Amino acid sequence: MRLIDWQLAFESYLLGEQSAACPALSAHLIGGPTLDVNTGLAIYHNAYQARLLEVLRGDYPVIWHWLGDVEFEQLAAAYIRQSPSVHFSLRWLGESFEPFIRQHLVPEQSAALAELAALEWAFTLAFDAPECKPLTLQDMAILSPQDWPTLRVCPSAAVQWLECAYNSIALWRSVKDESGFPGSAALKAPHVVVIWRSELVCHYRSVESGEARALKGMFQEDWDFAELCSDLAVSYGEGAPLQAVTWLKQWIHDGWLKRRES
Amino acid sequence: MSASLPCLGYGLGLRSTYYQQILEQSPAVDWFEVVSENFMVQGGKALYYLDAIAERYPVVMHGVSLSIGGPHALDPAYLNQLKLLAERVRPAWISDHLCWSRGNAHQLHDLLPLPYTEESLYYVAERVRQVQDVLQRPLVLENVSSYVRSADDDFSEWQFLEALSRLSGCELLLDVNNVYVSARNHGFDPWTFIQGLPANKVRQLHLAGHSDYGDYVIDTHDHPVSDSVWALYERTLEYLGPVATLLERDDHLPPFEELLGELQKARELGDSVLARRLKCA
Repeated sequence: MRLIDWQLAFESYLLGEQSAACPALSAHLIGGPTLDVNTGLAIYHNAYQARLLEVLRGDYPVIWHWLGDVEFEQLAAAYIRQSPSVHFSLRWLGESFEPFIRQHLVPEQSAALAELAALEWAFTLAFDAPECKPLTLQDMAILSPQDWPTLRVCPSAAVQWLECAYNSIALWRSVKDESGFPGSAALKAPHVVVIWRSELVCHYRSVESGEARALKGMFQEDWDFAELCSDLAVSYGEGAPLQAVTWLKQWIHDGWLKRRES
Repeated sequence: MSASLPCLGYGLGLRSTYYQQILEQSPAVDWFEVVSENFMVQGGKALYYLDAIAERYPVVMHGVSLSIGGPHALDPAYLNQLKLLAERVRPAWISDHLCWSRGNAHQLHDLLPLPYTEESLYYVAERVRQVQDVLQRPLVLENVSSYVRSADDDFSEWQFLEALSRLSGCELLLDVNNVYVSARNHGFDPWTFIQGLPANKVRQLHLAGHSDYGDYVIDTHDHPVSDSVWALYERTLEYLGPVATLLERDDHLPPFEELLGELQKARELGDSVLARRLKCA
C-alpha cells in the first residue's frame, strides 16, 4: 500500500463515526502480542474524539455546564463531524461553534445558546489578542485644540463587542463564580456588552444604550469627535461635549481606544 | 559509545499552571521545554510568561503540528510562525515528532505513526531538509509511541530513525517512555531500539508517565515515571553519557514541588550514572 493511500485510509477512519476500521486499512496494519489491530486503532479513534471534545469543553465551559455532559458531547461531536479542524492549532477549533449552533438547532433552541457561544468565544479572542498601545489620557492631554473636532478612534485589538438579547452574562458569571445557574431568559431589552483585556486579565462591561450608540458611531460609522457631539446634542443639548468627554475618558481608562489616523 | 552534543541538564515541560511559581520561586530547573503551538498567538498571558521565563532559563521549542510525514505540502504559514517564535525565544534547539498529524484535508491533532518503508524514508528526509532550510538549523525529531504499525515496513523504527538522521542531518529526541510503550505494545526489545540509534545524534531525552492496561500501554503523560522507564533511562544514560533530559507531564498536573521532586530523582540518578561512567573510563 502506498504511503498516501495508507494515510488517507487512516484519516478517513479517524474522522468517521465508527471505531471499527475498514478491512482495507486493517489488512495493512499489525498490532502486538496482546494488542490486536482493532484495539490499537480504537485507541487512536478515541483519542481523536476525546482531544477535540476536551478543547471545546475548555472553550465553552458555560455551554457545557448548561447542557451537561451528554448533550454537550452530542453537540460537540456533530460540530466536529461537520467542521473538522483545519488549523494546526487547536486554539481555533471552536471558531465556528456559534454559527454551527444557529444552523444545527431550531431557532427556539439555538438563539440563546448561540449568543452564549459568541460570548464565550469573544473572551477567547480577547484573551490572546495582539498587544497594542491604546490611547492614553496623556495622549489626550497633548492633543491640540484644533485636533479635537476631527479626532477619530477605533477599538483596540483586544476589544470585542456583543449585542445580547439574553442573560448570557448572568449565565457566564454564575459558572465563573460557581454559584447557582440562573437558567436562560430573554432580556426585556437587548444590550451591548464590551469584552476586553487589560494587561493580562479579561474584563466585560454592559453598556447602556446611549453609550452603546456613541461607541457604535465612533467604531463603525467613523464619526469624529465633532459628529459625536452633534449626535449627543439631540439628547444632551449644551451638555453634549461634557457627556462625550466623560465617555471618552472612561473608554480611554479602560484601554478600548486606538487613534484612527484620517 | 557516547553522545557528543552539548547537554543542557535537567528540564521541565513548561505548563501554564506553573507560570507564576516559576517566576516567584526561580526553581532549580536547568531549562524549560515549551510546546511551540501554545505560543503561536499574538498576545496575552502565554507570551508574557514565555518572555519572562526565557529571560531567566534556557528554552527549547517542541512542536506537535509540523506533520513531517503528512500527505500534504509543508504548511508555509506554520513554518513562518515557528521561525518567528524561534527568533523571539532563541531556543537551544527545535524539535517535533517523527509522525504525521495532518491528513489530506484536516488536522488530526495526534502523533500518528508512519509506515517505516523506503518510500516514507525518502519522502520524510526531503521534507526534513526543507524544514531545516527554513529554520537554518538541524531539526530534532522524537520517536512516538504507537498502537498499530504498518504491515509493509521495510525497517524497524530505530533503523528508520538512524537512516533518516543520516540522510537528512536531523538530530534525535529519544523519548524513553515512548520506547517502553511501543516495545510493550509491539513486542520488541526496548534496549535493541535504543542501541540501534546513532548515539552521537541524540540531542535530548524525554521522560514521562504512561497508563498500563495490562494487554497494552498508553502514553498518557498523566502519571509519574514508572519504575520500568526509570530503569531504561538509567541504562540509556550509561550507554549515551550526558544528554539533556526533560520530564514531561501534561495531565493530572501535581503540585509543582512534586514535579520538582521527580526531576530531582532524574538528576540524582543521572549524576550517579555519569560518575560511575567517569570512574570506568
